[in-house]
Parts: sequence; structure tokens; C-alpha cells
Amino acid sequence: MSGGEVALLMMGLFIFTIMLGFPIVFTLMAMGLFFGYYAYATPDQFVDLSHVFHNQIFDLLVQNTFSILSNDTLTAVPLFLFMGYVVERANILDRLFYSVQVAARRLPGSLAVATLITCAMFATATGIVGAVVTLMGLLAFPTMLKAGYDTKLAAGVVCAGGCLGILIPPSILLILYAATAGESVVKLFAGAFFPGFVLAGFYILYVVGRAIIDPKLAPKLPKDQADVRFFEVMRALLTSFFPLAVLILSVLGAILLGLATPTEAAAVGALGSLILAAGYRELDFARLTESVYLTARTTAMVTYLFVGSWTFASVFAYLGGQHLVEELITGLNMNRVEFLMLTQFIIFLLGWPLEWTEIIIIFVPIFLPLLKHFGVDPVVFGILVALNIQTSFNTPPMAMAAYYLKGVAPPQVRLTQIFGGALPFVFMVFITMALLYIYPELALWLPNHLYQ
Amino acid sequence: MHKFILTIDRFNVGIGKAFGWYILILTIGGSYEVFVRYLLHNPTIWAYDLSYNMYGALFIMAGAYTLGRNAHVRGDVFYRLMPPRAQAGVDLVLFIFFFFPGILTLTIAGYFYAGESWGYHELSVYSPADIPIFPLKTLIPLAGLTLILQGISEVCRCFLCLKDGQWPPRLHDVEEMETAILHEREYAAKHSHETADKGPSA
Repeated sequence: MSGGEVALLMMGLFIFTIMLGFPIVFTLMAMGLFFGYYAYATPDQFVDLSHVFHNQIFDLLVQNTFSILSNDTLTAVPLFLFMGYVVERANILDRLFYSVQVAARRLPGSLAVATLITCAMFATATGIVGAVVTLMGLLAFPTMLKAGYDTKLAAGVVCAGGCLGILIPPSILLILYAATAGESVVKLFAGAFFPGFVLAGFYILYVVGRAIIDPKLAPKLPKDQADVRFFEVMRALLTSFFPLAVLILSVLGAILLGLATPTEAAAVGALGSLILAAGYRELDFARLTESVYLTARTTAMVTYLFVGSWTFASVFAYLGGQHLVEELITGLNMNRVEFLMLTQFIIFLLGWPLEWTEIIIIFVPIFLPLLKHFGVDPVVFGILVALNIQTSFNTPPMAMAAYYLKGVAPPQVRLTQIFGGALPFVFMVFITMALLYIYPELALWLPNHLYQ
Repeated sequence: MHKFILTIDRFNVGIGKAFGWYILILTIGGSYEVFVRYLLHNPTIWAYDLSYNMYGALFIMAGAYTLGRNAHVRGDVFYRLMPPRAQAGVDLVLFIFFFFPGILTLTIAGYFYAGESWGYHELSVYSPADIPIFPLKTLIPLAGLTLILQGISEVCRCFLCLKDGQWPPRLHDVEEMETAILHEREYAAKHSHETADKGPSA
């Protein structure tokens, strides 16, 4: 067998084993170890038994582990997670939603718009899709249904809004992508800025548009609820909206303007979230410990994947697997847009059986060396991936967001209604992706402008 | 056997949680650096090294804790549909043939790797503060040891499950908010269903 064939066997066996359901990180390590042992075996490896353990793969595994331990991009991950857990547990969602809702009360479809904005902000601050959708499913979804909103529309805004945090910086996904691609987190955050706003803008325009065309879908609030004094609105915004907005914007601003590294900004953000929670009198020792423990677990879950995948990837490349994939794809004679569509389609399909962390850490790196050949900027590619992965949260069979909403929705709401409601929003994600295929400047303008 | 499993779990939960508190040092250290740099124009020379040391220690020592919570991601499309005995069978075989070789490598090769670093008292090259690197490297074999222990606990779990046909319970611990809420509601729904069932007969 040639090296490339062995590499394909390695990939095949890996996919087979993870389909059995064994924890992915240990499967990666085992594959890297076994196939690496074969790849780096010296001719006398098996002749003289004393040489059985003289194989480079053992050192490689440990060295890769240390390079993850001392990786200065991933340092920001636990800090952003911690900030997210603290904000999530500070019970601020209801007052945030209320303040946005009264501020937007004159708009057509005001509750849906308020839901989108609240979701976007909360998802940006916490980065945890499941929590946003579940909490908004308990809070905004029944409010909309009670106000007579169409079930599908109400379900769609909760699911779509909850996923915006995947793209809008500071997003954990973009940090993980930066670590795999060796790109700068700062450039990715800057690049995601406009596409994130374009997508959120599409969502809001769509909701307002539907509400204007067919007011039955999103009835106006009754007079007594819509009649809130200006002073009351300002007070709600000042106490409930601005503190979190200022926290997010200062973290993001510090990163984009180069005042602090993403890690430092994340540390300040985490401290800010503690102050915010304390200011709302929602910080106690129990919540703090919960946030600390969840941070430790989630960080370990994500970073251990890197430990496994770096060894796996280096053995796969050393055996010639990477070369084989590159030959195969360049042999198809595609142009830039075709290449992007093919790779994004593959990533879309991978979103069915796999979670986004595995896609970013294990499969996206296979395509990365090809970007140069097709003249694709890695920043644009990363943002396309972040857009793409949002769709897998809302399309069956994975559809995590839809299932979370179903879990907390009133029993008469059917899963098909949620899927149907999320569909237009998935479509808007595809439109945003198409815009990026055609105008990569949408993502590149800000980073190029800021860091020339 | 169940007591033995829970003893290991408790040990690793304790270690994972203890190292988890490093997040506070990471938070305060990073904020302090920003504060002294902009307000006092006097940046520290240790903040950078501190940040990756804290992050690295936090995540690698939480690995066994995470395993004990069954929180390392699985591609569980088919796995979750399998009966518990089949799950335990798959896990048992793969723990023995996949998990232990990798983790043993990490522990043994990590031991020599850290030993080398101790040998010449390796210091960080990033700053003049002479921050030692060998403690972080030492955590690689130590984390390996905690993972071996946890692996033994998981293998025992597989045996128990093969015998009883159901997974032995895990320690109670904090859950992600969405999981906690869903469990609560499932429990409530089941409960109200039961009372509704009893209603007419009573």
C-alpha cells in the first residue's frame, strides 16, 4: 500500500469509529498513534525488540500536546466561556428583552424584532446557542404566541436569533478557526463584523416586511401595552440594555482597535461580566462556582480535541493523505466560486452527523491548504464556515436549535412548524453566503482598512 | 465496584474543579495587565506567560473530570439509539484498544519530556521574568495519570452496564442551563402525566 492509501484507510477507520460513538478526542489520538507508529517506523523497528519504543510518534504526540498547552490563541477560549456563563446565570435576559421590546414597540412585528435583537446580543455575550434558544423559548416565544403571533414566525426568530452568536464577534467558533488556520483572531473578528450585521439586518427587514404585508402574522400590541412613556423606555434601556451593550462593545472595540489582545480583552470582559452580575445583585457563590466548573469542562472538551487532531492531522499529511485530497480537488478544474460552493456543501453535509467543534478542528483544516490555490482569503473562508454552521443548527437531522426550542415550547407546537419557521432564515444565511462568494470585500474591507 | 468507581470520579472531579478556579487568576491577571498598561503606562513582564500557563493547566487537568461527566464529544447519531449494553460493549473495546494506548503514551512520553525540561531548568523565552516552563510540562504526565484512573473507572462502568443492562448513575454535578431546564421539564411532564393517570382511578 502506498502512503496515500494508508492515509485514506486512516481517515476511513476514523470516521467509522466516531460513528460508533466513541469520544472523538481519544479516537483521534489512537489513530494518530497507530498510523503514526507505522509512518515513522524505522527499518529495524521490529528486528530488534529493544527498538520497539524508539519511534518519533511518541514524542510528536507529547510535543503537540504542549503546543496546545502554550497556544496563545486558545487562551481566550476559557475567558470568553467564563464571561458567557456568568452573563447567562445573571438572570438578565428578561429585563433585557423587556427593554428592547418597549423600545421597539412602534415597529411592525415589534416583539419579533425585539426577540431577534435580544437573541443577537445575548448570544454574542454568551456564545452558547443552546442556552439562548432555551431561555428565549421560555421567555419570548410564549409572549409572542400570547400576542397572537404566527407560530412559525415566532419559532423562526428564536432559532435564527439564537445562532447569530456563532458569527457575530467575539465568537468562540472564530477563535477555534483562527487556531486551526493559524490566522489572526483580530482579523477574523473584524471580518465577521459586517457580514454579521448584514445577516442580522436581513432578519429584521424580513420580519418587519412580513408584518407589514400580513399584519395577522404579527399583530400590533394592544393599546395599554403599547402606551409606555418615553421616560419609562429610557429608564429600561439605561438600566437593562446599555450595561450589557457597553460590555460587549468595549471588549470588541478593544480587540478591533488593537488596544488589547483578544485574551486580554476577554479577561476584561470576564471581569466586566462579574461586575455586571454583581451590579444586578445576581452574583452569589453558588452561581460563581457553577460558572467556574462549566468553564473548566467546556474548555477541556474543546481543547482536548485540538490535542488529538494536531497529531492526527500531522500523521495524515505525513502519509500523503493531504496531498491526495489536494490533487483530487485541484484535478476537478474548478474556479474560485465552484471551489467555495463544493467545500461549503461538504461542510454543510458534515453538519448532519457532527457538531461544529469537530468540523472546525478536524475537517476544515483539510481544505485550508487549498485556499491559496484558488485565491480565497482564509478570513473569508472562516466567515463562510461560521455562516454555514448556523444552518446546521436549524436544518434536520441535527437541528440543535429547533430541538432545544421544541423542548421548552408548549406541547401544541410541532417540530415541523419550527423547521418550517426557521427555513426562511436558513435561506437568508445562504443569501449572505452568496454575497460573500461574489463580494469578498464585504468581509475583507474592515480588516484591510484597520490593519494596513 | 460502584463505590470504587465513585471514589475515582470524586478524586478527578476535585482535581478538575480545583484547577478550574485558575479562570479567576486568568481573569484578574489579564485585566490587571490592561489596567497597568493604559493607566500607569507600566506593563507587566509576566502577564503573557501567566495567561497560557493558567489556561493550559486549567484545561489539561480538567480532562479527566470532563471524561467522568461523559462530556467529551461523541458522534452520537447512532450511539444514542443503541441499547445500553451495546453502548457499553463498544465503549469497553474502544477504551481498551484506543483510549489506553494514547493516554499511556501521553503519560510515559510526557514523563520523559517533562524530565528533560526539569533537567535544564527550562525557562520561558517570552520575557525576562524567568518564568519556569517545567511545571506546565509536568502537568502532561500528571493529567495522563488522572486520565488513566478515570479510564479505569469508565471501564468498570462498562462492565457494570454489561451485567445490569443499564448505566450506573454518575455523580451529581452542575449542568449546562439548557440541559438542566430540559430535565426539569421532562421530570415535571412525567410527574404530571403520572398524576393524571392516577386521577380517574382514584
